[in-house]
Amino acid sequence: MTALLEVQGISLSFGGLKAVSDFSIALRAGDLQGLIGPNGAGKTTVFNLLTGVYRADRGSIRLGGLDLGGAKPSRIAAAGLARTFQNIRLFGDLSVLDNVRVACHLRAATSMAGAILRTSAHRGEEAALRAYATELLEIFGLGDRTGEQARNLPYGDQRRLEIARALATSPKVLLLDEPAAGMNPQEKAALSALIRFVRDRFGVAILLIEHDMGLVMKVCEGITVLDHGVTIARGTPEQVQNDPVVIEAYLGAPAQEGGGVPAERRS
Amino acid sequence: MTASPWAGKAGALRPGTAAAATAGVTPFAVGLLLAAALQYAVGPAVGPFFSDLLIKIGINVILAVSLNVVNGYTGQFSIGHAGFMAVGGYAAGALTYYTSMLAWGGPQVQGGVFGVGSALFVGACLVGGLVAAAAGWAVGLPSLRLRGDYLAIVTLGFGEIVRVLLQQTQDVPFTADEARALSPVEMATHLGGSLGFSGIPFYTNLFWVWCFVTLTLLVAYRLKESTFGRAFLSIRENEIAAEAMGVDTTRYKVRAFVIAAFFAGVAGALFAHKIGTTLNPRELGFMKSFDIVIMVVLGGMGSISGATIAAVLLTVLPEALRGAADYRMIVYALMLVLVMIVRPQGLFGIREIWELPPFARRRGR
Amino acid sequence: MTDLLQTLLNGLAVGSLYALIALGYTMVYGILQFINFAHGDVFMIGAWSAYAVAAALGFTLAGGDPPGWAAVAVLLSSMGICAVLGFFIERFAYRPLRSAPRLNVLITAIGVSLLLQNTGQLRPVFGTQPQSMPALLPDTTLFQVAGVRVGLVDVTVVLLAVAMMVGLQWLVFRTRFGSAMRAVSHDHRIAALMGIRVDTVISFTFVVGSALAAAAGFLFAMKYSGLKQPADATWVLLGLKAFVAAVVGGIGNLQGAMLGGLLIGMVEMLGAAYLSPHLRDLYVFVLLIGVLLFRPTGIMGSTSVEKV
Repeated sequence: MTALLEVQGISLSFGGLKAVSDFSIALRAGDLQGLIGPNGAGKTTVFNLLTGVYRADRGSIRLGGLDLGGAKPSRIAAAGLARTFQNIRLFGDLSVLDNVRVACHLRAATSMAGAILRTSAHRGEEAALRAYATELLEIFGLGDRTGEQARNLPYGDQRRLEIARALATSPKVLLLDEPAAGMNPQEKAALSALIRFVRDRFGVAILLIEHDMGLVMKVCEGITVLDHGVTIARGTPEQVQNDPVVIEAYLGAPAQEGGGVPAERRS
Repeated sequence: MTASPWAGKAGALRPGTAAAATAGVTPFAVGLLLAAALQYAVGPAVGPFFSDLLIKIGINVILAVSLNVVNGYTGQFSIGHAGFMAVGGYAAGALTYYTSMLAWGGPQVQGGVFGVGSALFVGACLVGGLVAAAAGWAVGLPSLRLRGDYLAIVTLGFGEIVRVLLQQTQDVPFTADEARALSPVEMATHLGGSLGFSGIPFYTNLFWVWCFVTLTLLVAYRLKESTFGRAFLSIRENEIAAEAMGVDTTRYKVRAFVIAAFFAGVAGALFAHKIGTTLNPRELGFMKSFDIVIMVVLGGMGSISGATIAAVLLTVLPEALRGAADYRMIVYALMLVLVMIVRPQGLFGIREIWELPPFARRRGR
Repeated sequence: MTDLLQTLLNGLAVGSLYALIALGYTMVYGILQFINFAHGDVFMIGAWSAYAVAAALGFTLAGGDPPGWAAVAVLLSSMGICAVLGFFIERFAYRPLRSAPRLNVLITAIGVSLLLQNTGQLRPVFGTQPQSMPALLPDTTLFQVAGVRVGLVDVTVVLLAVAMMVGLQWLVFRTRFGSAMRAVSHDHRIAALMGIRVDTVISFTFVVGSALAAAAGFLFAMKYSGLKQPADATWVLLGLKAFVAAVVGGIGNLQGAMLGGLLIGMVEMLGAAYLSPHLRDLYVFVLLIGVLLFRPTGIMGSTSVEKV
């Protein structure tokens, strides 16, 4: 099976600083991979490159054979690449339902004139979107909170709403940026089940940034490790876990200051 | 491969009854009847002063509700709405004035509420709206890439450019012969200059104003309740997330801007043909824009009913407080500052009045 | 040649005024990242309080030549008045909104702007009548170059403006307080952690910016003498053009504001002299839109990337 998302040698510099250098990854349909690395390793920058928030200096990004280089984020989303945000970016004043319905926007087909005249086609579509969004929210356990303002949800619910919203764009590939941040152990356990469920139910490929090593090791089938923008390791969870380069990157060389502890970090 | 397990369900719920088919246009018909009632029953009953006030209210409602599409829904900040009003007003005014001159030899009103003159007038209102919409597109396309506060300055600058250009136009011809001597291009440069464009026939009446109010309110409300409105609101809430969810933010911002400009142009056209108006560039400067901004901000950015109520109040209030005219703007200014500190989302926020506690039905959660 | 020189001289004088006002816009933007829309009105209050102080001291148009200290006294009082005004504006209108969305602060600023204009035109304040500023400086000719008369007023305008800009540069880049200002403009929270009193720094920024605007107001009154009524559109336009100067130069950048001010002054005067005097407001806004389209951060501004 050929790769769905194929990233080859993308690089980005901010001024003189190389944020990401020569990053490559390939995801097949249904893959569940992790992207890890110490703070400031460039993980979120990779997501921003993939989703068009930043434009890569070099390299290519292809999704299902479609070249996404230089496309703006909305077009990339339309092509089937959806994401969540590390610092939650919900539409706070909108209802939970509307947050998901915004993301359904790509599947709406009626014209503005149709909306103004409330043609039956438009009403049918709105009803279908509402039903779809409601069902999606029920899957994520948010079915009883559809009318609430997103900003009033508890933190864990906000994270799950972000995933539901991203799924509503009907993605082929889903990028999750630290979905477990700020969750308690019970919520984390539920989340790892949810991530697997999402992959199976929706058939999406998932790329996951996460600091919680327990979760990453449990959920991901393949892991890529970044440090200072450079890919330092790649392999199965066991391979990566025992890789001395990775351990050094996390704990720091003896001469250096300790970088961070792999497990249980909250941002 | 389709990612959605429910892909087949789209369109499964299809209300196909005849009643549902007419539901789309019924509110328009209701608005039409209300406008007729205002024209034929309320207007004669309350006399010319209050009729004029009702017309002013209608025009301000159109302005506030349309600006709300940009400032409220989309979260951009335009303070040049009066500029689009001026563009529409002058375009429509010139169209009726010069057509009347050429066709009927003078700028007198032709026919009644549904006469040939009114047809020209309504056509001119739409043309005014379209010209303003085109201006909105031309201003919006480049500047909507900029961040909110820069946009404010560009729109303000646009309003000033319109004012300066209009002030440089030549006197309007007073006789049909003088008008005939002008080519169409020359007509566009004879709009009265800084002295104002006088002589535009007084076609504006309660019926047509409130027909356009109905149109504005319905368009604004139905867009808000549709996928377009949600796209607008998502931009205001979080532009980066909106873009990541597939909302082409630049395109939607331009759309919002064009819609708002269209209705500002219509409002300008209605204002231009109102009894007693001498269209003057100075009157449509940034002070007028600020008036409209204040209505939107006080009413609640994103709330149609809020903007409407604020437009009504802020049109009636100055009439009621004529004696204290000096203090009117001071009171407005203080209100603006206080509202921002105490209730920054405005009276209603993005909610409509019927969605707020005393009116809202308890919805099951 | 004479015409060109005269135009350039006018451009220099007007440009210096714009630059002085632009500094206030750019300082506030640098520190709080918002457009202090009311800054142009502080400039207006500066010009009008210069008139009011002059009138209170008994200097009138008909009153003969005022003594030499008159100009200094009027300048300093007007700067003092506006400094206090700036302090109160920040304290009561903007500080409560320190963490509010930028749009709300912008709306508040518009409110403050309307408040200043309309309070200014109340009868007990400045009234609704335009006034003529008495000549506090003698209208002597200092020298002539190629037929262009260089008067004391023009030289004062330019020199005083330059002196204040140099003073501000010194304040910001050479003093402890200046480094505190720069720290706050970089990051409020970190500056606060470093023990910098952020509120004091912000207050002081408003005080300095408003005093500079008042100086510009005074110089404006010296050069043009005719003062339109406080709520007149002319004032708003002058303030706007100064803001344009700040944007064109690169908002948040002090040298940029000065450069932008001079550029705007020159463009306006050259356009008025060689294209059409009626369209002088047009050139400035066309320049603004051009700059925003091709270099949105202005000539000397730096780009900042929003963190995602």
